[in-house]
Amino acid sequence: MTATPPPTLVETFATGGRTMPLSMTVTEPIRACSGDQLEASMLLGSGLNVPFIAGTLSGFLAHERAGANLYRVAAEHSENPMLVAKYGEFGRETVEHIAIYEQLISDLGGDPHYVSPAARMVEQQGAKLLEAPVLLAGSVDLVSLETAFLEAVVIAEHKCHDNWVLLATLADSLPDDAALIVRAAVEKVEPQEDEHIRWATDTWLQLATTNAEHPAANAALGLVERAAHKIKDALS
Amino acid sequence: MPFNPLEQKGVPLSEQFRSWRELNVEPVDIEGGDPYTRCRIVVMNGIEVESIMFSHQFARHTDNPEVKRALALSRRAEQMQQKADNWLLPGSDGPIETTIVYEQVAVDLTAWLARMEPDPYLKQNYDFGLLEDFDHLYRYANLLDLTKGKKAEAITGTVTEIMPGRPNPEEFRHPYDDVRRHYDKHSVDPRSRLHVMTLVAAEQQTMNYYMNAGNIPTDALARGLYLEIAMIEEQHVTQYESLLDPLETWFEQWLYHEYLEVWLYHSFMTQESDPRVKAIWELHLNMEIEHLKEAARLLARYEGKDARELLPPALPEAMMFEPNKQYVRQILAEQIGYRADGLDIVDVDGKVTKDTKIYQATVNGDGNYSQDVVDLHTERFGADYRLQPEGEHPVDHRMAIAGGSRDGGAR
Repeated sequence: MTATPPPTLVETFATGGRTMPLSMTVTEPIRACSGDQLEASMLLGSGLNVPFIAGTLSGFLAHERAGANLYRVAAEHSENPMLVAKYGEFGRETVEHIAIYEQLISDLGGDPHYVSPAARMVEQQGAKLLEAPVLLAGSVDLVSLETAFLEAVVIAEHKCHDNWVLLATLADSLPDDAALIVRAAVEKVEPQEDEHIRWATDTWLQLATTNAEHPAANAALGLVERAAHKIKDALS
Repeated sequence: MPFNPLEQKGVPLSEQFRSWRELNVEPVDIEGGDPYTRCRIVVMNGIEVESIMFSHQFARHTDNPEVKRALALSRRAEQMQQKADNWLLPGSDGPIETTIVYEQVAVDLTAWLARMEPDPYLKQNYDFGLLEDFDHLYRYANLLDLTKGKKAEAITGTVTEIMPGRPNPEEFRHPYDDVRRHYDKHSVDPRSRLHVMTLVAAEQQTMNYYMNAGNIPTDALARGLYLEIAMIEEQHVTQYESLLDPLETWFEQWLYHEYLEVWLYHSFMTQESDPRVKAIWELHLNMEIEHLKEAARLLARYEGKDARELLPPALPEAMMFEPNKQYVRQILAEQIGYRADGLDIVDVDGKVTKDTKIYQATVNGDGNYSQDVVDLHTERFGADYRLQPEGEHPVDHRMAIAGGSRDGGAR
């Protein structure tokens, strides 16, 4: 039995990354992927817009990868044990979803290492979503920082959920064998995605409500003040 | 033996500060000795300056105290490295001797990177820039002889030829013709990224140097020549920085900057002929290893990415300073007529775009100092200054010296 390779969390030259040179992008010819090549490998004879479908799937995969990064960073920076635990749990599930997308693309005849122009855009959106709470962490209080990470999760999970909904809808347009593959993947992931979005939204509401109703002086401190307090506590 | 800097132990960050007396190193001689020692010094100065300015830019985009402190700490050490590197070059009564070294760097660095570059589009861009830097060396060598009665070969040795490249007046382009396409971060060969980053840093250093040192000479011809070539360096920086993928994040870029420094210090340490300079490369390599690990730590903490997934398991082949005379001649023979057309370099027998033709008509409208320097040398000494140990120039001399499009036409 062949062991399933671990999912690729960061697509690079070493993992076999390929792209479609478009407008401003170039790549070595051996790494280039054309619309014709995609059509020759995926959903043969379907009459569908294969480059679009391959590009969209690549974008969905890129979104899951950005999600895995987001969960890791959010868990690292949260001071709330419940949030840390959930970020860890959902992060692990998101890594599983990466593997499921990779398998799905392979099963449809595609290359999971193909990073489409659409996926590049998705990656940028994901990076910027994470960048806000990271780069501006110094000028917010800890409640706002915690909320910013959680809101990034809410936004990312909505998009993630919608990607799976779109995939399920697309299955109706695919040839039967491909539709079966897609529906099986959706079935496997959908309950978890439903749970992610439900938890993220509920927790966001709960966090905001709790903060509104229970003022806590310490929570209003920023990172610098918090660090100073810790040092003071340690010395006293 | 494969060298993975992430698995090495370097000088701890807390031990990297040095005294002023240690940093004020004894300079090497500007003439004689191994010319490539001077080239390596110039490269590492440019690499450190880029790293420092990148770090400042990053710091201006965040108020995260941990990130700002980490940047400030490693940047202070980089600043000290830059001082030690750049202070290895001797002082002089003007910038021209150092300029000769800068242009020798531009020729042999660009040529080596072009030879090793796996991506044909990137290689084409390096070859294109190479012929222009090659011409700069020739113009400055004529200026050195004219103003100081010195032969450039005293500085360059005979490892690099000195003769016309793409004529300087022909190098001026409309800004739109200097913008290029970029590599894709997911599929780019790690060597290509290092090559592009090296050229960005080296050309930027040359641009900065001419921007500031170009007005030091009192002679109007020298000032004019610096002014013209400084504007070409702006074009080169525009070209090379275009090749970088803007999708790379701040933390990834930080990691790659540190990795570039590790690669080059490691490369230069293995080939350095001057034991005193070699010791500096080795020390700085050991410092950079810890900078890299710190960038990797923060990449994991703030982007959730493992640096081992972004970097190759071992350093790529060392960057070598070595003669590239035959390669330069080959590119001269094959590509002297190539010009930029928007995002691409094309074989058009010297014809420029409409935009560039208008631009050239403006900037070259009342003559070129880069041509004057050759004319004056010829008038005074009966010929231009050249160093051609490998024989005749591979293309028509008159075309190569004259400047201006062969037929002055635009496409």
